[in-house]
Amino acid sequence: MTDVNQLQSQLASLENTTEAIPAEQVRELVSSIRDLFGDRIDQQANGNSGDQHLFAELGELAKFINTAKKELRDAESGKLAEQEIPDASVQLDEIIKMTEQATTRIMDCCERLQATQNRLRDRLLSAEPPLDPELMAGVDDALMENETSVTQIFEACNFQDVTGQRIQKVVKTLQEIERQVLRMLVVFGLNQKDTTLDDSTREALVHDAELLNGPALPGQGLEQDDIDALLSKLL
Amino acid sequence: MAVDKNMRILVIDDFQTMRRIIINLLRQLGFTNITEADDGTTGWEKLEAEDIDLIISDWNMPQMTGFDLLKKVRASEKYKTSPFIMVTAEGKRENVIAAVQAGVSNYVVKPFNAATLKEKLSKVIGDF
Repeated sequence: MTDVNQLQSQLASLENTTEAIPAEQVRELVSSIRDLFGDRIDQQANGNSGDQHLFAELGELAKFINTAKKELRDAESGKLAEQEIPDASVQLDEIIKMTEQATTRIMDCCERLQATQNRLRDRLLSAEPPLDPELMAGVDDALMENETSVTQIFEACNFQDVTGQRIQKVVKTLQEIERQVLRMLVVFGLNQKDTTLDDSTREALVHDAELLNGPALPGQGLEQDDIDALLSKLL
Repeated sequence: MAVDKNMRILVIDDFQTMRRIIINLLRQLGFTNITEADDGTTGWEKLEAEDIDLIISDWNMPQMTGFDLLKKVRASEKYKTSPFIMVTAEGKRENVIAAVQAGVSNYVVKPFNAATLKEKLSKVIGDF
């Protein structure tokens, strides 16, 4: 098999010759070239060269960018990024605030109910003359039932924390989409607004996103029973 | 040995609602000596300033997370063996393993109920 060095020396000797080159020598040279570069010659002949493939890919990319640019302009993306997404974020923030306020009011009522029940029990226990024990036992059972219901209302208020975290995750995602759309508009020259983020803002955003990655959706994270099983092996 | 219902409990969560829920459930269970903090940093300040017998902390919080606080607590002489319960929406397997490796006493996933909290407390501080 011919190597590159041999081919180079063959070519150098031919370059310097002033005489007619024998047919045998030409055949040897062609054979050497085919040995070394046959595959690439075939690829070129079949139109499958690496360069041609790359050019084709770049062409597709250019078409994609042009289409995206047109769609961004048609979809009024400036309005989307500057108005609609921020509006959606504000609406979601309002939902968090309203559910928090509602939850606080519910818990205020629960605590007042608990206090009233405790006062009622104390008064009945300290009544003179004392209440019939059977009657008092019945009242106590009823108060305990109420207490259990109040506790269950408190438990149900868990929803505010869990849904709040999920909504905050969505808000952060919307803010990131808003920034990315604005950047695309700047890159495509559809909007002159400079949306370049400084490093500290981006770091803060990434940190927040990590912090507010939200609770796992049902079926995604472990349930308490799974965690207990895991803990029993680990602890 | 009977559980001291007057034990000092620190509840740490950045959501005020969640702190209130946990504190109310603890009161229902008979615990009255409860203090609270809204993130790991203020929680650690309370731990340094007071003598806390039980820590109940969220995981995801600004400034210092519950996981970072757990590591700090376990590295301290004062609280290296204190009961520490993580109450969090982070129900991922790797988080539970990381918390156990960092020395958590038990792990409660949100949303939870009074029965679950009572069961975990019993495992950590004994039956009551």
